[in-house]
Formats: sequence, structure tokens, C-alpha cells
Amino acid sequence: MNRIDWTGRAPVLIVISAITLIGVTIGAPGIWSVDNLFAMGVLAVEIGIIALGQTFVINAGGIDLSVGAIFALAQVTMGLAMVAGVPWPVAVALGLCVGLVCGLINGLATVWLRVPAIIVTLATMFAFNGLALVITNGIDVSGFPDGFYVLGQGTIFTIPLQIIAIYLPLLIVLAIVQWRTRFGRLVHLTGTNALAARLTGIRIGRVQIATFVIAGVLAALAGAISASRLTTARPDAGEVDNLISIAIVVLGGSSIFGGKGSVLGTALATLVIALVNYGLSFNNLNAVYQSGLIGLILIAAVLMQNIMLRLQQRRATAAG
Amino acid sequence: MASTASTGSRWPSWINISARELLLIIGVIVITAGISIGSHGNFWNDSNLTNLMINTAITLVPAIGMTVIILTGGIDVSVGSMLGLVAVAGGTAFEHGVGLAAATPVFLVAGAILGFVNGALITYGRVPPVIATLGTLSVYRAAAFIFLGNHWITMIPPSVTQAMVLTQPLGIPIAVWIALVLIALCMVFLARLPRGRHIFAIGNNENAARLNGIPVERIKLAAYTLTGVLVGVAALMSLGHSPMVQTTTGTGFELTVIAAVVLGGTELTGGRGSLLGTLLGAILVGLVQNGVVLLHIQPFWSGVVLGVIILVSVGSATVRRAAD
Repeated sequence: MNRIDWTGRAPVLIVISAITLIGVTIGAPGIWSVDNLFAMGVLAVEIGIIALGQTFVINAGGIDLSVGAIFALAQVTMGLAMVAGVPWPVAVALGLCVGLVCGLINGLATVWLRVPAIIVTLATMFAFNGLALVITNGIDVSGFPDGFYVLGQGTIFTIPLQIIAIYLPLLIVLAIVQWRTRFGRLVHLTGTNALAARLTGIRIGRVQIATFVIAGVLAALAGAISASRLTTARPDAGEVDNLISIAIVVLGGSSIFGGKGSVLGTALATLVIALVNYGLSFNNLNAVYQSGLIGLILIAAVLMQNIMLRLQQRRATAAG
Repeated sequence: MASTASTGSRWPSWINISARELLLIIGVIVITAGISIGSHGNFWNDSNLTNLMINTAITLVPAIGMTVIILTGGIDVSVGSMLGLVAVAGGTAFEHGVGLAAATPVFLVAGAILGFVNGALITYGRVPPVIATLGTLSVYRAAAFIFLGNHWITMIPPSVTQAMVLTQPLGIPIAVWIALVLIALCMVFLARLPRGRHIFAIGNNENAARLNGIPVERIKLAAYTLTGVLVGVAALMSLGHSPMVQTTTGTGFELTVIAAVVLGGTELTGGRGSLLGTLLGAILVGLVQNGVVLLHIQPFWSGVVLGVIILVSVGSATVRRAAD
């Protein structure tokens, strides 16, 4: 029961989703067409996948500021490999390995050096971003083989491939991992009380490292989809994704202190953010306004949660 | 003698150099030597030194406030957006023909308001510091965009550059003097005054501090507001250094500031750290950025170098602690 917090976070997310739905319907009446929904979904998939990985890290009590940098480093690595003549599936696998190694570095540094994840990933964010710029000389990479474009531009029965064949299956698998496997329970245990978890014999270091690896691989996957959709790999891509992915996870009901949250909440929050973004861009409003509004929503959501929590405490003391 | 002011724990005192700070000093010396050899002495010419000092001062001033915030166990990731929005407010005042003396309060008050909003959300709204300032990071940036649009403010009076950069008593620009005075005042405050000790107490154990009658909320609010004011000072300095404001001014600056504080050995869990470390951390960050330019290294390496330095420095502290 501690995975979905029905007392505070889940109702707030539902209320915010409803307000967003109504607001977008009034503010951008033309938005409800199938084509628009697919276009919106395509934009949401990339940040959505990054946020799924971030959910595991945050639920285990960590935080990963470097996912945007991994996103960029992985996509330029596979881009350079493809330009050098490597077949695209191999290049994509190479990019995913880059994500895996980056996640492993984050995890090992956090666990072995016993440094807070926020510092480790602040440092690796600089390092991964710098590496992406170094190996490309700061220049965009393009000119990929045609097969690669399937990832970000392909369709299955007119539905964008990355929604139906990548994001949704991934979400289902991760939800099962989170709810039905030992690892999923260990993640929440580690995030709830790392000391207690360690004392009961759980190797929390391994759990934490695994969450960073998941986040790294998923960020790399998002990077591949994005490079394929835009036909370009950019070394400076993903700069805002570090923070926006955290905002989505928190909006989705995960506690920033760990222990509470679910990938389904994250998915719902991704949808809210995507609606807001698409609704605003539908009205030709700049991306800066979009992130500003996301900031406001994030603060409002946490404030509402706190108010509900306080009301509840008051009721509890009155009853007691 | 200095340590008698502390009550038994390893709190840093006014001048009390720790092993870590010694390591940082050695790092600064080694990097300086490396750059001056590698740049064939170009490091030591006046314009480069001025440049390095001003850049370091611009990082250092908000880093003072950030150190205090982190000591209380908080963090502020919005300082880059704050710097941008304050620069927009102050720059707009300059555009309307307001002089330096009259515009200075605009910078300070604008900074104070933005910092106060952060502090109020965190203390009275009980929003976790990362989340609150993550939110205001985007909100302040959007506000700068709403006010400025695609317009660039370039009408910064030359008196700003004159006052901040070109006036150099004893060969050191005024901006750097301001930074040094501010950090000295805060060092004394943290080490000597009861309120300063309370900041460490909050970071070590907030509930215990509250039960001991320390006004935790008010002190935290003051720390965030102070950081806002200091960001205002830094904004004025940066306009003296590069007289232009656009909507992206200050983007990513928060990371440089946090990097300086973390490099200086202040622990993000709160309660431990020193302003002397922050000073050294800011110098180190400045040197890395300066060295990359002077040594004609691809500028992209500065991020890699900075990241590795942070990891090595924080990691070495853990290794040392384990060895104790």
C-alpha cells in the first residue's frame, strides 16, 4: 500500500490531470484529433522514458542529474558510429551500452565513495556533457542509414512505433518489475529506510547501482529515439531533461526522499506535462513558458499535497 | 584557540585550516603553475588576471549564500534563473536612465524578493528545497522571458564597468574587494556569533535545534533571502564584466556555484562545511575555466575536467574518512 499514496499524492495528481484536461480543452479546442494526440505522444515518449528510469532512482532514495547528459552522449556515440559505417542496430546497441556504463559509473561512485547521488550526478553531468562535446567537436551529427529512422518515425497501423512498440511495453514491463518482483520491493525498501534495509541483510548498494543502470540505459534509449526522429544527434541535447524528468517523477507522486512512488504515476504525470506543452505550443507559446508552467504546477502540486497532509493530521488528532 | 568557540564537534572556525582545505590550496598552486607554464606566462598578464578575478568573484558571492543554505541542509538550484531575472530588472532600470547608485537597490531588492519566495515555499510551504527551487528555476526563467522577449538590453552605463572592474585599488578590482569583504564578514558571523552557530545546529539536527528554541524557519528564510541579495550583487558585477542582458543570462550558473561549494568541502547533508573551502573551491573552478581558454584546449574539456575534479575531491574525503 505504500507504493501509491492515496492520502496525499495520488488525488492531487488526479485533480491536476483533470484541471489540465479542462484547461487544454478550453485553451486549445482544436487539440482533440487523432493526429494531434499522436504528435503529442511522440514528443512525450522521449522525456517519458527518461522519467521512467528516474522513477527507480528516486524511489530508491537517489536522484540522477545526469540523465540528460547520458541522453546526449549516447545519441552522439551511436550517431558517430553510424556515420563511420557501423550497421544501425549495432550502433544503437553501442549507444545503449554507453548508457549502461554511464549508469554504472553513477551507481558505483554513489555506493563506493559514499557520496550523495546529487553530487555524483552533478559531477558526471558535467563530465558526460563535456565528453559528448569533445567527441563531436561540438558539431551535430547527421546522415544516418535509412533503417535507423524506423525508431523515431516508423508507424504500426498508423500508430507511431515508439508509442506502441517501445513506450507502452516498457511501461508494462517496468510496472510488473516494480509491483511483482523482489527487486521492485527492494527498491522501495531501500528508499524508505536504507539503514533498516541494510540491517535486514539487503545489499542496498546493489539495488542502488541497479537503479542508476536502469536510468542510464533508458536515457540512452530515449536518445536513440530522439536522434532517429530528428535525423540528427546533438551533443547539447537533453540539457533541460535532467530537471524536467525529476519534476515529472515528483508530480507523478514519488516522494523526493524515496520509498514512495510508481512508474504508473510517472506515466500519468508525463501525459499531463505533454498535454500542457502541446496545448501551449498549439497556441504558439514558446518552450520557456512551457517549462515555467511546469515549474508552477510542480510547486502547486507539492503545496496541495502538504495541505492535504496537514488537514489529515488535524483530523487524526481531533479524532484521537 | 579558535576551536574553543565550538562546542565539542568538528565545526569549522574562523581560521582553522583543515586537511581538505590544505589539499585545495595545493590543487590551486599546482593548477596555477601548470597553466602559467603551459601558457608561456600569458596567465600573468593584467587583463587575464583581472578576468580570472572577476569571474571568480561572480561565482564566489552567491556561493557564500549557497554555503549557508547547504549548511542548513537545504539547496538552491534556482540561482542561475535568479541572476537572469535580477539582471533583467536592473538592466531595465539602466535602460530608463537610472544611474548606478540608484539602480543598485533595484538589484538587491529584486534578489531579496526572489530569494524570499524560495525561502517561504521551503519553510512555510514545507516544499522540499530541491523541488521548490527546481520549480522557481523554470518560473523565474519564464518571467525573464515574459519581461524581455527577444529584446537584448545593451544600454548598461559605462559607470558600472568603471566601478566594478576598472577601479582597482591595490591592483584588485572593486568587485573582488566586495567579494572578499562579504566572505570575511560571513566567516566571522558563522564562527563567532550565536546565529552563525545555529546554522550548523540546524544542519546537524533540525528537530533538536527546534526543540532547543532555535527559530529554524526564520533562519532558513533568512538564508534563502540572503542568497537572493548576494545573487543581486553578482548580477551587478556580471553586468560590469559583460554589459549585456538577454533572456538566457545566467543559464547553468547554479551548477558552477554549487560545484564551487561542494569542491570546498561543504557536505550536502548539512551541518559541515566552511566558507574558506568555498573560497578555494570558487578559485579552483575559475582556474579550470581560465586554464582551458589559455591552454587552447577545446573549451568542451572544461566540463569533463570540472566533473572529474569534483568526484576526485569528494571521493578523497570519503577515502580519508574511512582511513581514520
